[in-house]
Amino acid sequence: MNKKTAAVILPIFVVILASLFASKSPDTLEIMAINYGFEGKAKEVISLFRDYSFPFIDNQFVSTFLAGIIGLFFLFVLYRMMGKIIRCFGK
Amino acid sequence: MHIPDGFLNNNLAGGLLVGALGMLGYCFSKVFKTVTAFVGISAGNNGNTNTRFNSFGSSKGVNKYFQKLVIIALWIFAFQMFNIPVQSATSAHLIGGVFAAVLVGPFLGFITISSVLVIQSLFSDGGIIALGANIFNMAFIGSFASYYIYKILSRNYYIAILLACFFSVLIASLSCLVELGISGTISFTTAFKDMMKLHLAAAFLETIITLALLKTFKKLIGDINE
Repeated sequence: MNKKTAAVILPIFVVILASLFASKSPDTLEIMAINYGFEGKAKEVISLFRDYSFPFIDNQFVSTFLAGIIGLFFLFVLYRMMGKIIRCFGK
Repeated sequence: MHIPDGFLNNNLAGGLLVGALGMLGYCFSKVFKTVTAFVGISAGNNGNTNTRFNSFGSSKGVNKYFQKLVIIALWIFAFQMFNIPVQSATSAHLIGGVFAAVLVGPFLGFITISSVLVIQSLFSDGGIIALGANIFNMAFIGSFASYYIYKILSRNYYIAILLACFFSVLIASLSCLVELGISGTISFTTAFKDMMKLHLAAAFLETIITLALLKTFKKLIGDINE
């Protein structure tokens, strides 16, 4: 396989693994919030994809996977835009 | 380690957000400067520019460089999604500051981690107002602190990576704690020991994943400055 293709496939593969096996336990800051009793202070922000999932998709794996792929796509688009701007400046 | 909205008071979060935007602007201007400085100049360095940006010499070079940057960002995003259990009922994930800073330097590393954090805030992984604090903790400390630790110790690659990962994670968690302390969410002195203990495990995780990622990146993409 082309090395560059492998480099692009790797994050997709990791997203698949993450949606299957990533730990659902609270992370280091969340556990601090729970232990010290301030987790209630967190404001729920209205977002289409809360916690890497879609409310209208029932399957946990599918919804996390989709959110991950969309995130990767957004990042890709962001860099395309940045690259375009930088090239404009370069000329 | 993403701070959600509500943990920090608005003044602090707003101030950090402004600071983060300013820093992003500065980093972008630095990138622009080097790009424009190198376009059309085949040789010579005007002293200010970083030799890391040699590949910006042509628009093709810019393309190639951005391909590598986007790959770094995609990898970090994917790995940050992967929470790994570190203790009972606690998980941690990669920050990626060392990985980015070692490959592209602190300024582009800062931009890379910030871009990942911005996208994550859309998934409510870290708040929108708290984005500035998250950028300060993970992108600024994550790339600048780790880069300079790495540079100072660069004689031994493994020790440099190990200590850079270790200290960047601990300093980042410390600054997170200071922010929470200033906001009156938590008492700094009582929480200090717990916070450090928790993030010690995260630092180990960071080291192992960073070493593996750097090795894989060099194998697949090669040296970024080529």
